[in-house]
Amino acid sequence: MSKSYTTFKIHPSIGIARLGNSDQFYIAPEQPGALPIDCDASGKEKQDKAGNPVRVSSFKDDNDLSKIKKQAARFRVFAYEDEKDKNGKEIKVGGKYNFIYQTAVTAPRLVEGTVTDIDWTVHLANKKASWYEFQETNGQHGYAPDHPLRNPEVTQPDLRRQLIIDPGPVTVNLKNNQGAFAKFGSESKKLDTSKNKKVSYPQTFPPSDIKPNAIETLGSLFVNEQDKNIRLLVLGGNGNSGSTKTPVIESFVNNNGWFDDTSDGPVTAKIEYTFIDITYDGDKEIKTKTKASMDVQIPAWVVVGYPRYAPEMEDMITMDETMYDIFVRNMAYEPRLFGVPPFDTENNSPATKEEFDLWKNAARFNPDYYPKFYRDIWPIFRRPYEQTTFTMTFDPSDGGDPHNRGTGGNLSQTALSQPPSNGEDPNFQLRQFVFGIMRGTNQTNEYTVVGNAKSPNKPRLMPMLCGNNPLTNVSVDKFLAMRPTQLFFLKQWAAGKFVNECQEWEEGNPNCSNPWALPPTTGIGIDRGVLGNAVGGAFCPGAEMTWIMKNPAIYSEPFRIKHASYIPGALSIPQPIADKDGSTAPDLEKGLEPGDLTKYIGVPWQADFHECTDQNVDVTYENWNNIYPDSTGDPVQQQTAYNIPWWPAHRPIVVFDSSGSQVYWASGIPDNNAGDLQMVQAWKDLGFLIASGDGNNRSFSQIERNDEALGAPVKPGDRISGQNTTRSKSRK
Amino acid sequence: MASKTNEKSLYDQVVSILDTLQGKTIPSYQGLYAFWQNPDTFLNASLYGQRLIAPKNDGTTIVASSGCCGSSTTSTEATKSASPVKTEGCCSSQQDATVPLDTKQNITASTSLTSTTGTADCWPSGGSGGGGSLPTVKRSAQSGIIIGLKGQYPFDGTMFPRLLWDTENVATVAQIQTIANWIDADCPLTLEEERANKLQLVSFTNASNLVALARGEMLHQQATVSTNASKESVNGLTVRKEISSLSPEELGIFREAINCMNQYNAYWQDDRSFDYWARIHTNSCQHGWEQFLPWHRLYLYFFEQKLQDYDKNITLPYWSWTDYADVNKTTFNNTQFDLGIIPDAYGCFLTTKGFDKLNTSKATDGSALFSPKEITALANLTKKGTIFNSGLRFLKAAGINYEIINQNNTAIWSQKINVLYTVLKEVNPLWFPNRWPGALNGTAGMSQYPTKDDVKLILDINSYAEFGGGSAYDHYFGALEKVHNGMHNFSGGTNPNYPDNNPEWVKIYKQLNLTADPQNVDNPIYGWMTDNRTTAFDPLFWGHHSNVDRIWAQWQEQHNGTPLDMDAVMAPWTLTIKDAMSVQKLGYTYMRDSVFYKVSNEVGLTKFNAAPANVSQHTLEAHRKTEIVLHKVQVGNLMNASIRVFINTPDASVDTPMADNDNFVEQFSTFNGSCFGGPGHCNLPLPNTRRFDRRPLHNHEPRNYKIDATATVQRLLNKGAKNITVQLVIVGLNGKPVENAVFIEGVSINFID
Repeated sequence: MSKSYTTFKIHPSIGIARLGNSDQFYIAPEQPGALPIDCDASGKEKQDKAGNPVRVSSFKDDNDLSKIKKQAARFRVFAYEDEKDKNGKEIKVGGKYNFIYQTAVTAPRLVEGTVTDIDWTVHLANKKASWYEFQETNGQHGYAPDHPLRNPEVTQPDLRRQLIIDPGPVTVNLKNNQGAFAKFGSESKKLDTSKNKKVSYPQTFPPSDIKPNAIETLGSLFVNEQDKNIRLLVLGGNGNSGSTKTPVIESFVNNNGWFDDTSDGPVTAKIEYTFIDITYDGDKEIKTKTKASMDVQIPAWVVVGYPRYAPEMEDMITMDETMYDIFVRNMAYEPRLFGVPPFDTENNSPATKEEFDLWKNAARFNPDYYPKFYRDIWPIFRRPYEQTTFTMTFDPSDGGDPHNRGTGGNLSQTALSQPPSNGEDPNFQLRQFVFGIMRGTNQTNEYTVVGNAKSPNKPRLMPMLCGNNPLTNVSVDKFLAMRPTQLFFLKQWAAGKFVNECQEWEEGNPNCSNPWALPPTTGIGIDRGVLGNAVGGAFCPGAEMTWIMKNPAIYSEPFRIKHASYIPGALSIPQPIADKDGSTAPDLEKGLEPGDLTKYIGVPWQADFHECTDQNVDVTYENWNNIYPDSTGDPVQQQTAYNIPWWPAHRPIVVFDSSGSQVYWASGIPDNNAGDLQMVQAWKDLGFLIASGDGNNRSFSQIERNDEALGAPVKPGDRISGQNTTRSKSRK
Repeated sequence: MASKTNEKSLYDQVVSILDTLQGKTIPSYQGLYAFWQNPDTFLNASLYGQRLIAPKNDGTTIVASSGCCGSSTTSTEATKSASPVKTEGCCSSQQDATVPLDTKQNITASTSLTSTTGTADCWPSGGSGGGGSLPTVKRSAQSGIIIGLKGQYPFDGTMFPRLLWDTENVATVAQIQTIANWIDADCPLTLEEERANKLQLVSFTNASNLVALARGEMLHQQATVSTNASKESVNGLTVRKEISSLSPEELGIFREAINCMNQYNAYWQDDRSFDYWARIHTNSCQHGWEQFLPWHRLYLYFFEQKLQDYDKNITLPYWSWTDYADVNKTTFNNTQFDLGIIPDAYGCFLTTKGFDKLNTSKATDGSALFSPKEITALANLTKKGTIFNSGLRFLKAAGINYEIINQNNTAIWSQKINVLYTVLKEVNPLWFPNRWPGALNGTAGMSQYPTKDDVKLILDINSYAEFGGGSAYDHYFGALEKVHNGMHNFSGGTNPNYPDNNPEWVKIYKQLNLTADPQNVDNPIYGWMTDNRTTAFDPLFWGHHSNVDRIWAQWQEQHNGTPLDMDAVMAPWTLTIKDAMSVQKLGYTYMRDSVFYKVSNEVGLTKFNAAPANVSQHTLEAHRKTEIVLHKVQVGNLMNASIRVFINTPDASVDTPMADNDNFVEQFSTFNGSCFGGPGHCNLPLPNTRRFDRRPLHNHEPRNYKIDATATVQRLLNKGAKNITVQLVIVGLNGKPVENAVFIEGVSINFID
């Protein structure tokens, strides 16, 4: 009987924690658009009678609307029996698996061991202040030697490394179950019972006198046991941001002297197990109970982002969708969808770099692929209508939202979901029309549909959202387009090649129209469900993560960040400075270090967050965002696309309060640099949005806004002290 | 008590298996619902692009994957393509599909354009990825229902779940096998059909039958598949037969292919279009000199290759003019037109399906297009099945007036005639409306319709130039081409309803305010066959030229002459005259008819005893040469033996005398060799299928024997024999019966003109 060893993987592959200034927390949702999961003080998931997770209904402390609860990223270890096992199963204390046992003096061998504990190690860091300036798309494919650095005056390598917030790795397990990414000697570190807490590490933290808020920790982590499952929870920072100088905000994304406490880093685990070792003394069998441990082969990553104020509102493109597209088109992730004919695994398993080159040359979308309506198509059309309620784009009282999903609407669910049936296809033209106004991959600088029609009212291309760079003239990318894989789904759909699950194999399933209706139980389901709550575009720079996620080089396998090895206290710094003393510079080929995903994001995050509402985009010329006709007396008529939103799901503009009236979500915080600075404190007072109703009747209303701190919300049209209430990004 | 049978037909078993698997909930299956319950749906429908049951025909038309930009899905999909699904979206680029609101009409326009051209994509293709399917793959293995029940791609969950949907039940291996058996038995719907299908297999599956057949105790039955399928099974040349010898199936697939080609006529550059090929003649044909014969030989070759893309067993039949010499004695030199007789295959007739279309045809004002009287007449013609030599003669018989109207000062058919002709052309795509075989007005024409003797005279000519045309330096029409010219004129004939030919029509044109135009498309002065610009649009052209080519091939067997400039390139192709010099090298030969008997090569033959050759009396009378072919006679490690050939001697044996026996044809010996080598060395070689395998014939390749039985056959026919049977008797060199000396795979009787 041949046995293979068990493969262990940590799920989710990328966990999302979120900042909060409260000590209380909940667990990150594992389904797109789901409310976070409620838990007890030790992080154990609360379950209802049916065994489903209980969802939170309150995002702030009971008696304090200025305290936002943290979102914990929860990790688990799954065991995969063999190569055929695609789903995996979470491991348990007492569970038996096939481990590879190896000591310094014995060759590796397979033993059946019993799990006793898991050592979880996480290393968070924040590299924002040490990194380059974020200049929209510039840097996406490497930085010019003269690309400006944040804090450019710090050019000595060791001083530059001091700009990194690096508390060092922390290891916890069931016995030593609590740790903190805090400065040695700080209050936050006192609760630390972690495994190696006494081991010193060359920590770097910002000066303790930064203003307005000091940073002495990037968060904490602990382990609990629930139903014999050993799980890790990672909590992020307190939302503290501060500047070494007199705090002012000058830019939405690069502010020298500033630090914040978002972070990211690797999550690894070592399984501790025991087994009975059998040796022989002559003929006598000697059984010895032996303790051993084995590394989980496929580790994970954690990213700490800012709070999700409308957790149930899905982004127009989620990070899951963005990453899926990359893996499908670059990593032979789904050969049936994109690959080399005949689109089977056999012909689509490139392993070496050369094989990948050949594969990429020949691979293409499978023209016979039938996307599934509710999995692949409907989310694209379901989201816009809800999102418009967070923007000023369409006045609901006008009654004319072109995203209408009801009968007769452009996005009528009944009409769009109906595939050709027995040769009949009454909705063909509607689908072609809808597909026709979806912005193509090569149309990201087009505002309206391209065609010969002379009509002055050409339909605008969709989604009508900002792209990666509507701001500067370097690598212009004005508007957002759905990902190529999604556009391919839409193309198949428009041609009638799609399946409506609810009419076919899931007819009897009440959840057929929502593939994410139930909590995922598979490893990959958890990976993708978690990522479904992060912004997948546009990236200017983005919310949790940015355009670096579109680079296949950073992944070891689909959905997994490649881990680099690194020297404690010597995390990489920009190459021009690293070259001065020969220390480590970034190397995507070798993998990522703690802090490498969040370093691109604006610092402090509150500035960009405040400005990410909507944008006027110059559409005079495709390749130019900024033109200066006056300087040459050019009589060209400048054309502007007004009020193009960024990502309303992450940063609402207008919302309905509990009384049903429409108000500015961030009212009380002015639309200027001072407002950006105010947001450094005021983010914790903003309201959350929760959904009620189902399907096409779903609406969102605001709860838990701290009017005491921000004042009563302002309705559109109302003016208080002459304030404008929305804010657009601008270059200095 | 009478015993009652509880035997359930395979199809009933299939239905009950699927009913049980599905249970109560039946999902939509793309609007087909319980598709297995309706045989018509089950056999023809596709589920999300996957044909549920692969079409019959050994894979050539089975392409499970649907393609893009012109490649076909399956024929069922094609029939559905009136809905715009098929025509839009697939080929349009992202940019194209970006249709602005105010050009919404464009979508409609282009959709209706495509559907009005009637392009059902009927042409088989290798699928979007290229590469054809192997003919050895079982029909069941290509069927969506089997693939789906087995959970194979695309029903492996990557695109669709395993069939059936919306049920927990999974088909067992045995259940799937039952369904597969049913499909591989060609989907019989009743027990009777099942038994009929089985019967055909019996003679080859039953081992004891094999022995009985090899001993001559049972009759070898003539193969029921097409001549070309038979020939292919023994690596023979394809055969161009005389058109009246085509079996209904052979004629059917030929017509089906032409019908399919007609559907692409709107696409000028598409070489699947019939008119595309006709225009090659218009633009490039060679006449009046030595290139006439080779150019047309290649023209036919390339057209035939295209037809073989549609079905590999199609060849171009020939129209043996001289068979119709007697009946056309008076039709050519006559002041009356449209009296000529041509083969029935090219004639005009109506089927029930065509009649149904006419019966429901509406005029533009919504009223019925045909009067009740006309409908009754059409119904009668349909019932009788009469075949007319021209459309005009059909109209007369139906009591329908041939009507012309004035459209922008051009004469065109009235709607009634247009609709009628469209249907008639669908019914028989070999028929052509502007064809009035018979006399030619205003010319002396040919002095006489060519007879067998006329052709014999031509065949006696020794010089190529005189036979086939002079070289560029001294060019003139060859004798064969002159006869060919006359037959063009005869088959096109004169339009009796053109003013110059009929004073009645001078008046009609005047009333309609029309000027007579000899080259008018719908109502020209002569038939299209008479004009080398339009001739190849008439499908009769191909039969006509096949016959010209046949006569040249026959002349080549008897003479050595060639054109002068053998390196001349035959535009628009890149082949030269030299390449056109051998019909064998082009892969075909001519036979009036041919019958084939499959022989098992597993049992040594001691006597071959054939059932009568099923050919027409006319073939027996008219054919020139009778040839018996023993196919694939094995040569390795076998004792030498003699094979004696008899005709019409069912009880032939080693004792049957050869001398003074009118029924004896020939005796010949095999000459075999010993074979030495490693294990398997002496096995039969693999079929040579690799594209670049240019090695000569393999040593162990079984060989063929050809026996000229003409004299014997003629003798017996003259003595009043009504049919022909062949017997082979195997005799050892010692004159005694011998087993295990002769192993063959088939016997042909070729009736050659």
